[in-house]
Amino acid sequence: MKIDAGESHLRRVSHWKLYFVLLTGMLVLVFIFSLNIGFSHIPFDNILKILAKNVPILGDLVDFSGVSEVQESIIIHIRLPRVLGGALVGVALAVAGVTYQGIFRNPMADPYTIGAMGGASFGAAVAIVLGVGVALLGVNTVPIFAFVGALGAVFLVYVISREGSRVPVTTLILSGLTVTIFFNALVTYLKLIAGDKLHALTFWIMGGFTYTNWTDVSSILPLIIIGTAIVYLYARDLNILVLGEEQAQHLGVELEKVKKILLASGALMTAAAVSISGLIGFVGLIIPHLTRILIGPDHRILLPTSAIVGASFMMICDALARVIIAPSELPVGVITAVSGGPFFIYLLRRKRRGYTVR
Amino acid sequence: MDKTLTYVVAILAIISLAVASYGFVAFQGQVADLESSTTNLENSISDIQGTLTTIQEQIGEYQSNITALEEELGQYKEITLVDDMGNVVVLTEPPERIVSLAPSNTEILFALGAGDKVVGVTDVCDYPYDFAAWVEAGNMTSIGNYWQPAVEPIIALDPDLVFGSTASEEAADSLRSLGYNVLIVEPKTINGVLESILLVGRATGKHVEAGEFVSELRQRIDAVANTAAQADSIPKVYHEVWGPDIQSAGPGTFIDELITLAGGENIFHDAISSFPIVSSETVIEKNPDVIIFPHMYMGTTSWGTYEDIANRPGWNAITAIQNDNFHIIDASIISRSGPRLADALEILAEMIHPELFG
Repeated sequence: MKIDAGESHLRRVSHWKLYFVLLTGMLVLVFIFSLNIGFSHIPFDNILKILAKNVPILGDLVDFSGVSEVQESIIIHIRLPRVLGGALVGVALAVAGVTYQGIFRNPMADPYTIGAMGGASFGAAVAIVLGVGVALLGVNTVPIFAFVGALGAVFLVYVISREGSRVPVTTLILSGLTVTIFFNALVTYLKLIAGDKLHALTFWIMGGFTYTNWTDVSSILPLIIIGTAIVYLYARDLNILVLGEEQAQHLGVELEKVKKILLASGALMTAAAVSISGLIGFVGLIIPHLTRILIGPDHRILLPTSAIVGASFMMICDALARVIIAPSELPVGVITAVSGGPFFIYLLRRKRRGYTVR
Repeated sequence: MDKTLTYVVAILAIISLAVASYGFVAFQGQVADLESSTTNLENSISDIQGTLTTIQEQIGEYQSNITALEEELGQYKEITLVDDMGNVVVLTEPPERIVSLAPSNTEILFALGAGDKVVGVTDVCDYPYDFAAWVEAGNMTSIGNYWQPAVEPIIALDPDLVFGSTASEEAADSLRSLGYNVLIVEPKTINGVLESILLVGRATGKHVEAGEFVSELRQRIDAVANTAAQADSIPKVYHEVWGPDIQSAGPGTFIDELITLAGGENIFHDAISSFPIVSSETVIEKNPDVIIFPHMYMGTTSWGTYEDIANRPGWNAITAIQNDNFHIIDASIISRSGPRLADALEILAEMIHPELFG
């Protein structure tokens, strides 16, 4: 028996490696493909040249003829930040989704349904309307406000929906919904008093990467790295949590502490995502499920692969948003919702199975 | 005697010979002198000519210096422009590639004869030409929607001047950060529109045309206002902006200002917001003498026909309905901050005071 278990573990690990390599390859392909998509038709080799030019040593070796300044500006200042921003937001939402589904042992948990997005959007809206979002001591305050909002909302939902030591599905979804509606109402009120900031606020809530710039990318990059790293450190604990809280306690997990750390990390990543892209639904829900079907429920592999799949999915959605009604753009939230809605319904009707490590 | 004579003659001969030879020698000397002085003269002439050439060369040098200085001076003939948001744009030469991000800006540019420099418009720009057809035929590029346009289609046109509005402020921020010149044109009053026309004129090197055009518009506006001021009555006017949840125009709108100038009284002149949502009851109570609807009202996307309005519950009590004093105006004329506001005023005056303007 022991030998069998060892063998199956080895087989699984090599399986993981294969998937990981394949998915990383896909990520790179999607990245280059989405840089190539946009209103202007920039030849593929020009894109490679522009990218190479900005690499310190390689840049001097590249023959830069045939590349116009406009093309360079478009790739470096418009497409690259938005593609990277999209990838980061995809990572953040997917990892937050995996985390929440793990903590709550609930397939319906995601940054949107448990209220984190509602809270984050309220926080960010406050920052935008009060005009403190520009720069306070050289720091972009929108992510900070969004984080406080997201954290508040998640803990509110957690406290409301907890029954003893459990968080049942129905109460979680209901309290998540309630908190989301509550914060949405506050955002609606902010819209009313937003005055000349209304345009910015309305468009920001719709969700998208139309105006994502390098400042946005660099302001959320550290938050998402930190959040993902923390969650990954607790991947084993998440595996045990999924078995049930009693069992987790028996296996020596400091339940309350771990849960709080993970909830806060999820809120941090949701806030980072919301602060640059507004409300983008369904990504945090469908990506973890999709990856779980592909690779199984072990969080040690589920977390990194979800991050990769989330990044790829978001880059594809944003590329579509740019070209479907070009030269105008669709809010990317529309695309994720249209592709995610049917999947959500499918999940609702599907028999629940396979959320634990077999 | 003879001998003496002979001597005398001989002496005379010798003397004369001597004199002659002296004369000859002297003459020779004089010739030599003359010759040398001629040479001297020639030398000094060539000297003078040399000096002349030098002087001419110097003059040439000065002239080229002057030209260079003039060119340098020309470079400092720059124009400093301040837009409606207080942004400062400095132009060193008239723009050759203009992008308009609002239909009102497009109308002004073409009215001033700067239309041949316009390389990009929005997909709602439809006056003075059918730009959608131009785009179709490849004679114009559409940058997409008026509301929150994407940046890439604008950059792809590599404009040297962009005219935006408050609906495109975020795009304007991005464009500015990439070094593009952007002017936000967002006048709030009719006088503001005239000032905007002057601003656009100055920016495009059409200041003379703009001056003439503005004084012509002002004359037309004053003519209407002066005639309307002599009217015996001030009819109450209701302008429905949107329906069926009826919305009217209040203070701070062009509609309100135009109705007042045309000798009418906007029944929602004292409303609390610019575009108040009003109740059917209020309209009946205020009992307007004239009712005006935008053109699109009667189109396919309308919220009703004339009969529908006349048959609204209780509206048969309204004087305007009883007298069939019901008018339709092209929404794009009366709501755009462009040169056609003068047309709108003349049309409104005819609707409100047919006895004066019929």
